Amino acid sequence: MAKKFVCRTSDVPANGMKECAAEDGLKLVVANSGSEYFAFQAICPHQEVPLCEGLYDGSVVTCHMHLWQWDVRTGAPIGLAEAPLERYDLSVEGDSIYVQSKSAIDVGTLFAGASEATLAKLAGLARRETYPTGAVVYRVGDPADDFFVLDSGRVEFQIGRDERTSPAGFMLRKGEVFGWAALLEGHPRRIANARALEEAALLRINGGEALRVLEADPQSGFLVMQRLSALIARYLAEPGAK
Amino acid sequence: MRVQVNARNRAYEFEAEPGEKLLFAGLRAHIDLPYECATGTCGTCKARLVEGRVDDAWPGAGGKKYLKGAGEFLMCQCAPAGDVVAEVASFVYATDPGTCPAHAVGGALGSVRRLTADVAAFDVELDQPTDFDAGQFMAIAVPGVAGFRGYSMVNFARQTRRLEFVVKKKPGGGVSEWLFGPAAAGARLTLFGPLGKATFHPSLAKNVLCIAGGSGIAGMMSILARATQEGYFGQHRGHVFFGVRTYADAFFLDELARLRASCPDALQVTVALSDEDVPASAAARHPQLAFARGLVHEVAKLAMQGKYQNVRAYLAGPPPAVDASIRFLLLEARLTADNIRYDKFS
Repeated sequence: MAKKFVCRTSDVPANGMKECAAEDGLKLVVANSGSEYFAFQAICPHQEVPLCEGLYDGSVVTCHMHLWQWDVRTGAPIGLAEAPLERYDLSVEGDSIYVQSKSAIDVGTLFAGASEATLAKLAGLARRETYPTGAVVYRVGDPADDFFVLDSGRVEFQIGRDERTSPAGFMLRKGEVFGWAALLEGHPRRIANARALEEAALLRINGGEALRVLEADPQSGFLVMQRLSALIARYLAEPGAK
Repeated sequence: MRVQVNARNRAYEFEAEPGEKLLFAGLRAHIDLPYECATGTCGTCKARLVEGRVDDAWPGAGGKKYLKGAGEFLMCQCAPAGDVVAEVASFVYATDPGTCPAHAVGGALGSVRRLTADVAAFDVELDQPTDFDAGQFMAIAVPGVAGFRGYSMVNFARQTRRLEFVVKKKPGGGVSEWLFGPAAAGARLTLFGPLGKATFHPSLAKNVLCIAGGSGIAGMMSILARATQEGYFGQHRGHVFFGVRTYADAFFLDELARLRASCPDALQVTVALSDEDVPASAAARHPQLAFARGLVHEVAKLAMQGKYQNVRAYLAGPPPAVDASIRFLLLEARLTADNIRYDKFS
């Protein structure tokens, strides 16, 4: 993917951040930790408040509205944040800052913090698929061999069958993971129907192959499994457990 | 009317009475729908209409500036006009079984007592007893004024029919103008609540920091009442910073002095005057209280240096004061976000 010019290094003060527009119009925030620069999405994934209005202390960005926070290095949510922060690969040449869009795997919470090598291997396993509006991704009872990372669009879940279905949640953020039954031992069958609500681009990854990649890198593997547990807990949480 | 709310993690179904705001109906059904001010100013309760129609009780609500897409509406202002399906882009769970259930209740205005030139205390006698947590507020509607406004309970009691509040006179503010003007004892009010997550419970087992600007002191009084009732400051420290413009604008000083006198070693109370030097008479009249010149968040920041171990902060007041406090608590005191509690009222 081509690099896009964003701004000059002098535009971003140390321990500060600035909202910029990349040369193709993409709005993002550049933060300066004093020794490094980071780039991430300009708008908070919660209630669409500009993140440049928030706080940045050199490593954590906080949205001032509801105090959602992220590690700018990995985009991983900290504390109250319920969605990952999309980051961009940033390079500095001379006094100019460039960004490159990251793939959904790099953006998603599930793999944040895994080693570069493991992320690259997982990206290698991924098959990109597009689903037109209304297309079924999987049905209740289907074998759960693959899990999915949302790249764009929206996916909706329904429990039940035929006309007797009821809503069971939806996903709309780049990097969100669903179908994670494929990562569980014994591969339980699908417990819900998944359907593209708006035309969706998904990364499909085989669960067994992903687990083997994670086994070969136990440090990353443990981190990912920890995140997977947290993900499952959010969907099955008892009141007050979040 | 049947209401279905589709959240990121699952869907919920509940019933709403005719004219009942979607948010209130959901909270009544023990569903923790997203909200903060519950009174149309903050935009947190926004939802997208999927099926059906809603009636908007306050088309001019300030919170509507947060509505971006087609079909979006504020759940705290809109009532279903038939069966409705709406979507919220948050994870929603059932309310914690430990929270006091929210409900609609009628009440009668008791007395309205002037405390300063533009602050009054008022109390309400409810038709039935209610429970609330210290730091919570009620949404109150008064005769002849559209919509609800939020007021934090000043007192703390269990199964009580008497709620105490303070109100600051706001030019053009419907409810405050009514309370400072034609309001008469016995007037019928409609309330919904208790609401709010900036709550204190003695099981917190942390030191407590309260930073309040003006009428934001209301909820802090409830927190201090609860804490001192349980001897909380026997094991933990409390720091209270109350910001007003001048000494003449201060109120509740006798009550604060009494609270401090009950635990002088562990509880510190400082009144910050932003617009004038501290008059010599202040300390003489209130030996239990400390006074300082400056903006409340700056006075708090200076006084609290090095004292942030195991602290939970409660903030209330005009948004600039709350925002400034959040800034130093996160960046300098390094408190985690879940230890900074406030209700944002624009």
